[in-house]
Amino acid sequence: MITAGVDVGNKYTKVVVMKDGQVLSKYMVLSGFDQQQAAEEAYTRALAEAGVAREEVRCVLATGAGKGAVTFANDTITEVGADAKGAVFLFPSGRTIIDVGAEEGRAIKCDEKGRIVDFAINEKCAAGAGSFTEAMARALEVPLEEMGPLALQSSKVIPMNAQCAVFAESEVVSLIHSRVTKEDISKAVHDAIASRIISMARRVGVEKDLVMTGGVGRNVGFVKALGEGLEMAVLVPGEPEYVSALGAALAAAERAAG
Amino acid sequence: MGSQRYPTEALRCWGKAKELREEYYLNYRDAKARGGLRWAGGAWTFDAIPYGLGDDVYMLTSEPYGASIAFNKELALQCMEAAEKAGYPRDLCSYMRIYWGSILLDKYPWGGGYPKPDFIWQDHICCSHAKWYQVVTDLEPDIPMYCVDVGVGPYHQLTEHKIKYVADQLADGIEWLEKVTGRKFDDEKFIQAVKNECLSTSLWAEICTLNKAVPAPLDEKAMYSLYVFGTLMKANKKVVDFYTELRDEVQDRVARGIAAVGNEQCRLMSDTQPPWGFLKVFRYLERYGAVSVGSLYTFGLEGIWEIKEDGTWGPRTTPMAKGIEIKTRDQALMIIAEWNLSKPEWQHFYHPQLKTDMMARIAREWKLDGIMLHYNRGCEGLSCGIAENRLGLLKEGFPVMTFEGNMGDEREFDEVSVLARIDTFMESMGYKKLY
Amino acid sequence: MDIFREWYHDRHRYAREWKEKTGGKVIGYFCTYVPEELIYAAGMLPVRILGSHEPQDVTEPHIFGMYCPFCRDCLAQGLKGRYDYLDGIMIAQSCLHIRQAFTSWDIHVPREFSYFLPMPHHVQSPRAYPFLREELAAFKKALEDWTGKTITDQDLDRGIEIMNTNRRLMRQVYELRKREEVPVTGLEAMYMVLASQMTDKVEHNKGLGEILAELPNRKLERRTGDRLMILGSENDDTAFMNMVETVLGATFVIEDHCTGSRYFWNEVEWQEDRLAAIAARYVDRPPCPTKDWPKRRRLEWVLEMAREWGVQGAIVVQQKFCDPHEADIVAFQKALQERGIPTLFLEFDVTVPLGPFRIRVEAFLEMLRQEDLF
Ligand code: SF4
Ligand code: SF4
Repeated sequence: MITAGVDVGNKYTKVVVMKDGQVLSKYMVLSGFDQQQAAEEAYTRALAEAGVAREEVRCVLATGAGKGAVTFANDTITEVGADAKGAVFLFPSGRTIIDVGAEEGRAIKCDEKGRIVDFAINEKCAAGAGSFTEAMARALEVPLEEMGPLALQSSKVIPMNAQCAVFAESEVVSLIHSRVTKEDISKAVHDAIASRIISMARRVGVEKDLVMTGGVGRNVGFVKALGEGLEMAVLVPGEPEYVSALGAALAAAERAAG
Repeated sequence: MGSQRYPTEALRCWGKAKELREEYYLNYRDAKARGGLRWAGGAWTFDAIPYGLGDDVYMLTSEPYGASIAFNKELALQCMEAAEKAGYPRDLCSYMRIYWGSILLDKYPWGGGYPKPDFIWQDHICCSHAKWYQVVTDLEPDIPMYCVDVGVGPYHQLTEHKIKYVADQLADGIEWLEKVTGRKFDDEKFIQAVKNECLSTSLWAEICTLNKAVPAPLDEKAMYSLYVFGTLMKANKKVVDFYTELRDEVQDRVARGIAAVGNEQCRLMSDTQPPWGFLKVFRYLERYGAVSVGSLYTFGLEGIWEIKEDGTWGPRTTPMAKGIEIKTRDQALMIIAEWNLSKPEWQHFYHPQLKTDMMARIAREWKLDGIMLHYNRGCEGLSCGIAENRLGLLKEGFPVMTFEGNMGDEREFDEVSVLARIDTFMESMGYKKLY
Repeated sequence: MDIFREWYHDRHRYAREWKEKTGGKVIGYFCTYVPEELIYAAGMLPVRILGSHEPQDVTEPHIFGMYCPFCRDCLAQGLKGRYDYLDGIMIAQSCLHIRQAFTSWDIHVPREFSYFLPMPHHVQSPRAYPFLREELAAFKKALEDWTGKTITDQDLDRGIEIMNTNRRLMRQVYELRKREEVPVTGLEAMYMVLASQMTDKVEHNKGLGEILAELPNRKLERRTGDRLMILGSENDDTAFMNMVETVLGATFVIEDHCTGSRYFWNEVEWQEDRLAAIAARYVDRPPCPTKDWPKRRRLEWVLEMAREWGVQGAIVVQQKFCDPHEADIVAFQKALQERGIPTLFLEFDVTVPLGPFRIRVEAFLEMLRQEDLF
């Protein structure tokens, strides 16, 4: 059976096409202003890549902030639900999933079937998510991709308050002025956001194994800080940003099977 | 709409409720013109006492006043902005900021300017309660203020001297009232008001008890418009009469199987004041056939309860029903102090476990499937200990979801994300949208 | 002078050693309305639970983020096991924020003894005296039941004496801060008070006695400069105090914090009924804002101190989300300004952003200095 999952995030739209538990193709485009068009485009490309015709797809589930825009989907699944499904598929031992994207961080506790037991989502504040690192990278004047590797080169602990992005930014500036190295500052930034995320994750109670999904999973500095803060290994899939789309495709197969 | 399972019917009392509420705010506004007195205080204040000053004494209770304004998002925002402009921090109680804003802007939603009270008669519950009116006297220095401390500890540890501390302050308050109003205090009228209060708050608990029925005859959204009389004038005869009528009607609904929400399939409760500008959250729940049948807040903020002989929760037996004859002022003061200290929505100020236990009891006796906690940034009092309540309820095995918001300040409510949370919660409990 | 700072920084080692040495019990308390007289009378060591000013991620499941960072920092210490030597914990009724640190501690880090003392709020009512007296009797009984030892009048007298001596000596130190060139900095004074909340006051009194012998002749290495007052919520942010005094050259000559003057200001005045005497002391002390109504007594007291200590400017600080102080701040700033004392308002968190705060204080001082010129 062929199914697909479409994850329309605020920044990127991702599609995963699956056949009998195997991924056939993945595709990602910028969401832009027109989410409907982005979903259409990503879906068409993903199908083409998989060599699958539209009619062959038994069920499409949409997820993500813009899931309502996916007119061709049969149904929707919540981001949290999709996340858990995808993560447990990739790591069957995963019981806690931490998903950090550009604007939102969430923590999910689930069972062995990827069903949600409890979840927490950060409230509307950038301080707990990827965009915080972006702001700090700007203040540090280093490209975003370099923030993580930079942090790995430091082992200093500089307490920083990540409650408010504006204050944190001026803290970064005063650290620069007092000649703290970029490596150390970068580590401080990652420690600070990781601490915010950990704080939230403790609400659901962190149990082994811990899986991290979402685009920020690519940031080695953050992953390290998260693991150290929780004193736990962090499992990160190869393409962490596709986990929700994957989960949606899996859930689509379950639903189609009834 | 969508898989109707039970018959529904509009409440017959509805019109009466509207009328009563309207009349309350107009009476207060016009009291002076008719030679009467008016006073201000919180919804939890000992409002039975000023009835001893005569029949032409009207009050404006501040929390429902703040909530009424909060319904009107535009006015609420104007009020809060005025308070912020005057330097009051944005994270203070939103009712309080709205209230100050209505003074600063000199606006009364029922027409005219802010109707200045002749005196303030408050009690101190959360850190903000007395301070609320202290700031009012900063703004309007000629309003005399009296405030009673009720912080004597949880009900299960109550002793005589604790009740007496509250009663003695009330006794001093009566002398103070005589002084600032120049009126003689009438003990008979006061004692009658004490009886009314016991009756009305017990009746409200009885009405809530009827909601144990499946399907629930009332949903929480409707309860908000009904419980409010307990916060407006719980010691008034009119409320006793209204609640008696309502009780009879709800009893009849239960007997005939009338539901508040026709497609009821999932029973929930909420916690703390809702975000008043977003009651549509409850409508959204109905799409899942989910109905909130109440909360410790709607049940126990004004309702007074006790554990019945069979071990379940029900309305507290009034002193009159126990055959106690209230004869003197002192006796009435002790009774009303003790009665108020047994308020369920007061115990968590001392320990979250006390509230968790009551909530778990509601969840069992009212046959709930899940619990939605409103982490209410607007009220430090009712949100106190809420995170521990969540942990405690999870431990008891109930599904719990939380959402952040603010009862009065819509700037702190993120509608899209809250609806998304509800979807996730419903999905995790295995419910699908019915329409 | 260094000893006070050391006690403060080594608070846990101190308490552990005290336990080892004396075999006595240690009670951690969350609020300065706790009647330490009775705890000393019972032969125990009361220590105040304070935070550690480190960002932490353990309290989120327990206290909703709308409550003050101070109460969360305190709870974090318990959850992290830093106070594992405590035999008991207690709180006296004050604000709802810190009460949650106590109740969560009670649930998740239970101790042998846990006590909530309903300290009355209506301290402006005469009814508060007999009520608190009865509550103290109940507390005394709880202590006796716990230890199996009766607390006698002699014990109470000893407790009162220890506490009163400390208060008297602290007042003497504070008197010296009225001088044109003060012999102690605000930071040093802060360490003294903080240390008094976490050490055996008998020992602390001895330390104070020694320092008082030197203080009248002590000269700081720098001029006093701008005479500042700092007031508001709990404050043991030594990093901030240090920044203002060393980098910016101003001096805090007086403060109103529960980690400062508000804690030790008045003594127990003798009455035959010891518990009534102790009750009166707590009812009459400089109030915490949540107990300061209907009149603003604390404001009168702050203005009086500002006058006596020759204050030129006031920094009003407040822990983020601290409701009790937030309801006071507008009135306080207005009254201070009306008396020619400019104010600067700062919101504190577990850690304060020193960079941005420095800029603000610097600008504030510049403004004060300009006013001096004209
Ligand atoms: S914070 Fe809550 S309890 Fe306190 S005054 Fe406001 S509404 Fe009342
Ligand atoms: S008084 Fe303020 S700073 Fe102190 S514990 Fe209460 S809320 Fe926090």
